[in-house]
Amino acid sequence: MAAAGKKAKLPPILVVDDNRDNADIIRQYLEIRGYPITVAHSGEEALALFETVKPALVLLDVMMPGRDGWEVCRVMKQHPQLGKQVRVIMVTALNELDDKREALQTGADDYVEKPFDLATLAATVQRNLAMQRTALAS
Amino acid sequence: MHNSVLLTDSTDAVIDRAVAHLDGWRVERRPSPQLAAAIGTVEETRAVYVCTNDPTLLRATVERAHAASIAVVVECDDEAVRRRAIELRAEEWVMRGANETEITARIHAALTRAVPSAAGMTDRVERVEYERMLHDSRTGLPTLPVMIERSRQRFKERGELVVLYFNFVRYSKIEEIYGWEKLDAVLETTAAAVKEFLDDSSPNPARLMVSFMNDDDFIFFHVPATGVPAASDGEITEMVSRLQRHVATRIESIHGDEIAALFDIYVGRAHVYYNPKIRLERLIYRGIREAAQAARGIEERERARKVADLRSSLRDRGVYVDYHPIVHADTEEIFGYEALARGVMRSLRSPEVMFEVAEEADLIWELSRLCRQRALEGLDTYLRPGELLFINVDPHDFTDPVFGEKEVSDPKRVVLEITERTAIKDYPKFRERLRAFREMGYRFAVDDAGSGYAGLGSIANLEPDFIKLDISLISAIDTNFIKQNLVETMVKFANDHGAMVIAEGVERAEEFLTVGNLGVHLVQGFFLHKPAHATAPQHTPGEQRVAPLRAVTKTA
Repeated sequence: MAAAGKKAKLPPILVVDDNRDNADIIRQYLEIRGYPITVAHSGEEALALFETVKPALVLLDVMMPGRDGWEVCRVMKQHPQLGKQVRVIMVTALNELDDKREALQTGADDYVEKPFDLATLAATVQRNLAMQRTALAS
Repeated sequence: MHNSVLLTDSTDAVIDRAVAHLDGWRVERRPSPQLAAAIGTVEETRAVYVCTNDPTLLRATVERAHAASIAVVVECDDEAVRRRAIELRAEEWVMRGANETEITARIHAALTRAVPSAAGMTDRVERVEYERMLHDSRTGLPTLPVMIERSRQRFKERGELVVLYFNFVRYSKIEEIYGWEKLDAVLETTAAAVKEFLDDSSPNPARLMVSFMNDDDFIFFHVPATGVPAASDGEITEMVSRLQRHVATRIESIHGDEIAALFDIYVGRAHVYYNPKIRLERLIYRGIREAAQAARGIEERERARKVADLRSSLRDRGVYVDYHPIVHADTEEIFGYEALARGVMRSLRSPEVMFEVAEEADLIWELSRLCRQRALEGLDTYLRPGELLFINVDPHDFTDPVFGEKEVSDPKRVVLEITERTAIKDYPKFRERLRAFREMGYRFAVDDAGSGYAGLGSIANLEPDFIKLDISLISAIDTNFIKQNLVETMVKFANDHGAMVIAEGVERAEEFLTVGNLGVHLVQGFFLHKPAHATAPQHTPGEQRVAPLRAVTKTA
């Protein structure tokens, strides 16, 4: 699996984190697994890339300067074409009930708590993509 | 697509074969060091295919191409180059040795992806926002400023304009009960139905325009065409009632009669005449305000009529009760029933509407008493021994001195469902009343848990025997992992506190399976049973039930 071939054709993922080190680690880890990754370092950049990348899944950091993750998620989920399909996973340092409510309000599908281990992250990505496949199939 | 150029530093003939698949394309070759410089000079360049392993040259090429908004495909010799290509945001990459089909496909993909230059990015965000300001993304309808601009010319020519203000009264209630996702869906249905109606009914659709107010109201402009008289009041009234029926039918067929029962439109209208001395926008805004006020006036008259309906219902005991089964998640056996009070009068069918009217008319206690009495009648006639009866009570009811006095023969079979939609003002006193009821044998359920009204803290405060999860947590829970996590938390909390969790509003098999797997104890919803009238006695054992399902095994 290490030699990521283009043949597998995994769905594109957009990774959004203002911390470049974090974003890089996530990107490398998922790229090795064959996912086409695009990185954005701010909410604005993520929204700008959204229509061109057409990600199947977005890994979205909550705490960012400028547009935070909640706002970005809301805007993405409101997109007339892409909003219905895209799965948004919030990456959050907080694990409070209220944050999960907030996440539901913005239309997020799942979340990962920081600090996360990469295996958990990959598992979360996988189960969301699997969910998306079944949703699209039905 | 003619005369497009693929610029490359590759000498491999596979490039020529790949480009041959592209209509009207040709290949231009430059050595790697000159590739970047060639981007600006070779005309018609639409894509660059770069294969150099030199990081500096690669960077220069990609940056140059992006500055000119040209797509780049990077041929990668190894993992390092591939990483670099991604880092540089090349549109596409292929591993060296790819065949011509693959390369053609990559070039295609790169072209469709071609990212606008960095400066273009912020423009794009702004454009998206700008579009959002012009059209509501849910309904696809234009916003008011857009509509004013569109009608400006026509209005000036014709000299008059009719504004219709549609006040969809209980849409906010739908959101409160079922969550924002439901309201979004209902708004989409409404807008689609409105558009459909306009397409079908108006011979000249441009004459009637509709805009969405971002909350739950719609505004129509009717500018009569030249030479055609403006629609008369009679015609407008007739059109409005047809539209109302059309939208109501649509909502009922898509979202069910519970939601349709909440649906009500009040329409106000205002006639605006063009006056060159006054700014056109202001004329229109005033017209809208006038129409909105007219709608409100009609709403008030309607309400007065409903209060009268309620008074006569109370006098005639015009309330009946539907019993909605609550079943074990694993065996699907009936555990108890929730009593749902409904008005006999059509205008008061929905309990939400009935209680809303009662609250305005200060008849809450009386209505609650009647509903309770009606519900409790079923305890001996409809329910079988051992089955529990869940009845809804409002925190207000506990202040009613009559409540709980000799109303029930066997309080142990009664569960009081408490919602916190009405704020509890005097908590210590409320808890004291609860304790008294508990001593009599009543049990308690927290209704709508997780809806934002009842957090875990307040749930702990009430020490409930049952926790009823809000419908907004259950709908589509099979696809949303955050909802699953929240429900899991609730189940754990309930298990720790000796309570049982009830999932309400289970409408689909997937939802049923999911809540079962999460360890939810009891389930209620249309998927298993619809609420039934109490007129006929309850089914006898062995009778076939609705929607038989395979057994669910709990994992939690």
